[in-house]
Amino acid sequence: MGNLYHNKTAQWLVYAVFFAGFAIIPMTVDDSFLLNQLATYGVYGMLALSISLCWGFGGILNLGQGIAFGLGAYGMAMTMQMQTQDESNPIPPFMLNNSLDHLPMLWQPFQNTYVGMILAVAAPTLFCAVFGGIMFRARVSGPFFAIMTLAMLSAFYTIIIDRQPYTGGVNGLTPPSSLQFAGFEVDPYSPTAYWVVFGFLLGATVIAKLITQSSFGLVTQAIRDDSERVRFLGYSVAGYETVIYTVSGLIAAIAGCCWVMLVQYVSPAQLDVGFSLSMVIWAAIGGRYSLLGSILGAFIIQGAQSYLGDTFLATWLLILGGFFIIVVRFLPNGLASLVESGLGLFAAKRGPASAEPNGDAKPIPAE
Amino acid sequence: MDLGSLLNALILGVSIASIWLIAALGLTIIYGTAGVINMAHGEFIMLGAYSSYMLQFYLGLPYLLCLPASFVIVALVGLALERGLIRYLYNRPLDTLLATYGVSLVLMQGVRLIFGSDPKYLAVPEMFQSNVMLGSASISAFRIVVLAITAFLVFALWLLFYKTRFGVQVRAVMQNKEMAASFGINSGRIYMMTFALGAGLAGVAGALFGVLAIVLPTMGASYVVQAFLMVVVGGGSLAGSVVASGVTGEMQSVFAFFTNDTFARFIIFVLIVVFLRFRPQGLFAQAGARR
Repeated sequence: MGNLYHNKTAQWLVYAVFFAGFAIIPMTVDDSFLLNQLATYGVYGMLALSISLCWGFGGILNLGQGIAFGLGAYGMAMTMQMQTQDESNPIPPFMLNNSLDHLPMLWQPFQNTYVGMILAVAAPTLFCAVFGGIMFRARVSGPFFAIMTLAMLSAFYTIIIDRQPYTGGVNGLTPPSSLQFAGFEVDPYSPTAYWVVFGFLLGATVIAKLITQSSFGLVTQAIRDDSERVRFLGYSVAGYETVIYTVSGLIAAIAGCCWVMLVQYVSPAQLDVGFSLSMVIWAAIGGRYSLLGSILGAFIIQGAQSYLGDTFLATWLLILGGFFIIVVRFLPNGLASLVESGLGLFAAKRGPASAEPNGDAKPIPAE
Repeated sequence: MDLGSLLNALILGVSIASIWLIAALGLTIIYGTAGVINMAHGEFIMLGAYSSYMLQFYLGLPYLLCLPASFVIVALVGLALERGLIRYLYNRPLDTLLATYGVSLVLMQGVRLIFGSDPKYLAVPEMFQSNVMLGSASISAFRIVVLAITAFLVFALWLLFYKTRFGVQVRAVMQNKEMAASFGINSGRIYMMTFALGAGLAGVAGALFGVLAIVLPTMGASYVVQAFLMVVVGGGSLAGSVVASGVTGEMQSVFAFFTNDTFARFIIFVLIVVFLRFRPQGLFAQAGARR
């Protein structure tokens, strides 16, 4: 029967159990703060998933996922901020403090909730398409692409701090009330908000899984393993890379929107280099070749951070860094590869395995 | 438009460029030889600044002796890191990037635990505290010292790489590791020594930065991205890094003269993206350079 880890049906079954487990949490948990925190983990899960899609399956290490996340978050925060301003007084207080006497052009589309939310998702996605398109067509890849995303991230970080009258500078934006959508007010501590976030996480996971199983995903994985050969076969490598990078950015932008809905706050810290690198750490520790592994990586690390972090605040980063080094050195495919080899041992015991690599997690030689 | 202050900005540009250059040279050497993306380079710079601070504060060592001492201390740290971790990750460039990021977290947090998060200050040595007049522009003597040290380092590196046996071996390993090995060159040893050399250069950069800016556990992060950009624009070669640092440092300070410092950085980033669209291999691409 081979290694169960590579069995497509088994994979979908695990997904179903995982998401069903999370869906029933609000029915058993009464603590609304815990619910809100679990929902934020869902956002982190989405980010880890987007990294896994881009890096694990596309071979594109993106150290600047905070751009898509942050721009999405800013778009959503701007929308929510404008919801609390009425027609007669359209200028948010922080702009008045920076002596602006009219609403900037940049902010005007966000007066309409629907336009604002669409922009919050579309703008970062478009940015990824353009930036990715330019870079991949110039055949910037591997570590150099990673460095360019890092540089782009710090460019956005500096510009947001610099343009204080438009962005709130270091303080960021703090919309005073929660999101109103289609006549409802979405309370960030309610089960509704939780289900919205997990709905998006579920949707993103299913779509990502379908992408990796499609022929498009197959070519993308081939590009990861040997882009030159795929190029010689006549595929547009840059095109595939741009699409997978953009889809990954889209997921991160949605995550950014969800995040602001939950915490009602955004600041340049969301575009900090450290935060984008932690997304990569989640995926690396969980297992970047496994979508679910990456999501669990985010849950484990962030969970450990919020529970251990309080007691070991000073040493937490030390522990995280050390753990990260050990994983990269000895377990380059992450914790998910432990499951894979564990199930492989189990399969080996049950008789000769029919070598039938299936699904998303083939054993991959370290690059 | 005041010509004197523009001249001031141009001279400031040269000194910014030279700071970036020392940081970028260390990275270039490590990347160019072994293909290692060293994310801990910023923390090496930070370690250099802290070692100079300690030598000055506890031992009362004169500043000019702190520079070579920082070189040695950080080079030894680099050597230990290469032996303990990096040598297992050669041929996995993305993994070296991740592992060294883990190292940078550990170094940063370790230094914070030992020294605390409060800023430390390296004193400007007394003999360089004066200002020098250049036409209508005035520039602090220390910035000229920084320039002189940079020039000295570039010259020393050129001698090392182009006039010594070690340099020939390094260049051979850079171009074709297997071929070099079959001629009896121990590439593992070359990797080890170039890593230590690059780390040591970061140490010197840190000792210089420490005087011009504040010494903090987190200071490395702000330098490493800039330094990497110099490597990317330069194409991974030494000459490329020199030119890239010079041009972008100068452009940065001219743009900053017309707008402000942060906006100038943003313009530089955008220009670099546009530049890479048309010349992805960088200014002077190296034969056989990995990317």
